[in-house]
Amino acid sequence: MSSGTITLTSSDEVDITVDRAVAERSVLIKNMLEDLGDSGEAIPIPNVNEAVLKKVIAWCEQHKNDPASANDDDDNRRKTTDIDEWDQKFMQVDQEMLFEIILAANYLDIKALLDVGCKTVANMIKGKSPEEIRKTFNIQNDFTPEEEDQIRRENEWAEDR
Amino acid sequence: MPGGKKGPSAAGPPRRDVLASLRMASMEDISRAALPAEIVSSILDHVGPVDLIRAARSCKLMHEMAYDDTRWVHKLKRIGCWDEVDARKHAERVFGTVANRQVVEQQEEGGGNGTIPAIIIEDDVSNMNSLSDGFDKIELVNTTSQTDMLEGLMDDPTLTVLKQARSIRGEARQEYGKIHAALSPFYEDIARRGPSSDNLVFTKYRDPQAQAQILAQLLAFSKCDMTEGWDERLESLQGTMSMFETAALNEFRQGYETDDIDGNMRKYAHILWTLNGGQSAVDLFIHHNHLMTRKSELGSVSDCIDGLSGHIKIEHTQAFFTRLSVAFNEQISIMNRVFPPSLDVTSAFMEKVGQDVLYPFLTAIFDELHRVSIESYLTAISMTFVQCMNLSEALLPTRSSETKFDEFLDNVVIKIYEPHIDLYLAEELDYFKKNCEATVSEWDRQLSEQAASTESFLMSNINRQADKRDFLTSFKKVIMMPVNILPSFSSAKTNEEPKPDTENSDSPVAPKSPNRFSTISSPAPVVVEEVPTTELAAKAAIMKSKMEGIRSLFSIEIALGLVHSAKSSLERAAQFVRLGGEFGVAAKRQCQAIFVNLLRILGHRHVIVGFDKAVSHLSNYRPREQGERDQSGVEPLVTFLELVNVGDLILQMMDVFYEQELIGTRLTDRNDFLDPAVKEKKKFEQMLDERVAAGLNKGIDVLMEEVDYILATRQLATDFNPGVSADPHRQTMDVGISEVAAAVVDVVSSHTQMLVGSTDKSTLDVFNQEVGLRLFTALCKHLKRQRISVEGSLKLISDMNHYFKYIQTLKNNELLLYFTAFRELVQIYLVDPGHAKELATLIADAERFHGIWRVEEVYEFAERRADWYQVKRDVERAMYGIGCNVM
Repeated sequence: MSSGTITLTSSDEVDITVDRAVAERSVLIKNMLEDLGDSGEAIPIPNVNEAVLKKVIAWCEQHKNDPASANDDDDNRRKTTDIDEWDQKFMQVDQEMLFEIILAANYLDIKALLDVGCKTVANMIKGKSPEEIRKTFNIQNDFTPEEEDQIRRENEWAEDR
Repeated sequence: MPGGKKGPSAAGPPRRDVLASLRMASMEDISRAALPAEIVSSILDHVGPVDLIRAARSCKLMHEMAYDDTRWVHKLKRIGCWDEVDARKHAERVFGTVANRQVVEQQEEGGGNGTIPAIIIEDDVSNMNSLSDGFDKIELVNTTSQTDMLEGLMDDPTLTVLKQARSIRGEARQEYGKIHAALSPFYEDIARRGPSSDNLVFTKYRDPQAQAQILAQLLAFSKCDMTEGWDERLESLQGTMSMFETAALNEFRQGYETDDIDGNMRKYAHILWTLNGGQSAVDLFIHHNHLMTRKSELGSVSDCIDGLSGHIKIEHTQAFFTRLSVAFNEQISIMNRVFPPSLDVTSAFMEKVGQDVLYPFLTAIFDELHRVSIESYLTAISMTFVQCMNLSEALLPTRSSETKFDEFLDNVVIKIYEPHIDLYLAEELDYFKKNCEATVSEWDRQLSEQAASTESFLMSNINRQADKRDFLTSFKKVIMMPVNILPSFSSAKTNEEPKPDTENSDSPVAPKSPNRFSTISSPAPVVVEEVPTTELAAKAAIMKSKMEGIRSLFSIEIALGLVHSAKSSLERAAQFVRLGGEFGVAAKRQCQAIFVNLLRILGHRHVIVGFDKAVSHLSNYRPREQGERDQSGVEPLVTFLELVNVGDLILQMMDVFYEQELIGTRLTDRNDFLDPAVKEKKKFEQMLDERVAAGLNKGIDVLMEEVDYILATRQLATDFNPGVSADPHRQTMDVGISEVAAAVVDVVSSHTQMLVGSTDKSTLDVFNQEVGLRLFTALCKHLKRQRISVEGSLKLISDMNHYFKYIQTLKNNELLLYFTAFRELVQIYLVDPGHAKELATLIADAERFHGIWRVEEVYEFAERRADWYQVKRDVERAMYGIGCNVM
């Protein structure tokens, strides 16, 4: 382990050099380095393009000193419900980018980033109508109006009063 | 890695495969805007329930994920109204037992996955109906009277919505829905407005009991709020609750101050209990309790201590405890009336009383007493401890904690005594030791003073008497002059006065000993029987008085005193044994230590030292120096034997004490040979036995010297040889026993008799045998010094019979043989001088004497015949001359 840095290659063949400690926020990369040893070769990240990868690395730089995520019990999760300021700013991107980041975090196995992403999305859909939600997630309404109404009636308690 | 090789081109063949596989996964397959289901699902984890339902309406996939039962079960669990056991039971009832679990699971999955089952819808509709019903009823509650608040509230489903929630798999969402419908309006309202009295809770419900119930439920409900901003909402809720709590507490306090026990106090205690367990009400009740504020009325420390003597006044402490128990029971009954049964107020209250009332009171007493007088400190500790225990029995058990009540009380008492107990136990032992040692040393000191004064008294006496005496003694008076300091008491006075004293003080203590020999309570009244008149006699008298001192070397009184103080110490300390645990063990150990110390002080410092002194006195004793031979006993030996008696008595006393105080109270185990108490006791017995044996050895010497002395000085030449008597009237044959024989037997038997019962049988047997043998040799020697005529032989025979009879009482066959031989032996003196031949056969008949003497020895005895020179020739001829004849 002579070198403190490694090189990552994005899906669009761009090399990015990062501190190894930063890159190891990703469990995927960490495991890979452990399994293969540090050969000095660039590690291809085929699912993530340069822009997203840079964004992710930026997040990792910011959070490199965070303690390893504690057990994922309820109270702990509840405490981390709120997104800190830096992350809120970090997440102020267009929705496509946001989803890309979430996907990249999922792929690279960076749990904390994935959580932040999910929370951001959760906040996005807060108070939105079903139609708006569909738009957000780019999904088709596969319900008949009757079906949709039935669900609404089933859950009258959730209606705004 | 500046010149790092790029890409997989440089990678080795094996690695290429790995990287290639990575590359194969491509973004192209996944729609750009669509997230994979698992991510959507985890996004939904962060979405509040209302948004979740809306999301469910967006599409079928979302619906499925949002309706996932585990999501709702999780929420219910956080609220605290999901019972896993109950859920399983229900599932088994509906879907079958564990045996066909797979079926169950399949069905459950089916319930979760597919489109909404019809049942659920129906359920939901009816639920909604019941919910709206519930809201209607709330109005009713508000209008009805509040007297029956608890029952009335039970009718309102909103107030008990959490309790009514069922744990049914597959229906968790519906259950949650009910709860949400009931509580969310209040929750949202509080979150929006913050703590204020205008909150929906307070406007909708007028009854504080209902408000409390809603608030309590809201607190639980808030736990499932996982969305952003939950902490602010929780804060508002808590603020509202504490506002409510403060108000309710105020009411509660007013109720307490105005003694409105069954009204406001009870009401608000229940309200607070509903709200958050009522701990604040309990705290308030305990902290502002009348018992604490008025504790000075229970009794003051100064009342309980007698200022002059430093003693504790038992009646006052008892009164304190009685008042306390009355007040306490009063409070308990209030608590029972005020607080709900499941709320444990008593133990906290008791602890508080222990800490704030009992502890300061007792500590003040103890500290004061410890300063003033250790003795009363010790009594106070153990006494108040007993009173404490009694108190705890007098207290009413509460409804809530009957089973653990006693245990708890004990704990409280332990806590009170905890800081004192170590000091106490140490002090107790120390006090006991000091006391005993003081007693013994004081006694020793008195003894030595006494010895000195007796000595000088004797000396002075001889001086005064000497004035009227002959020259020689007045000459000696000059030498003794400096000692003459004491005032002139008449000897008669000393003779008479102390005697009744001793008799009185002794008889109850040692009834089995004859009064004359019995121990005296203290060395003070040493009985000087007769004032000696010569210097030699004076010395003997001093000696005798020293031996008299033997009785005073240790006294039963002292021993009794020590045992008594040990007993009281033990009993005090033993009180703490029942505390059990660490302190119980410590107390036990201390009790044993007290016993061990008792044995050490009483045994080693008192009895054994006394024995040692007695033995050394005994070995210094010279009976021949004793001028007056007025008693039938050898004074020092008698004293010593008496000592043995007393020692035995003390030993028995210790044994009884041990049985009663240590075994009886289970402080120690008899069979535990490692136990220090048992060990010490054994050691004590052993040492006592050794001393007794040593003393008896010396005693035999002394006794025999006495016998020798009697034989030598009192046997008249005419006893066995009346012929030489100058008394003309003494013609009749006297066949009675001689005075000497009677005296000897008296002396010996009186001494051996004294031992009976006070030493063990084997020791006694050995002693008797030794005495018998020594008596035998003494008699032999004595006989060889006598001259015996035929006429006197009758007396001798009766003497011998007398000895024989005495020896018979010793029941020692071996010994008896010697004296049988003696009886036979004296026959040789009875033979008429004319029958020399028969005499010769007698002498030669070794069988007759059981081989105890050889013929030569018997011959020697025969030589003591008064007419020996007349018969000698005939006898010798008869013995040896048969052969001569033949020659």
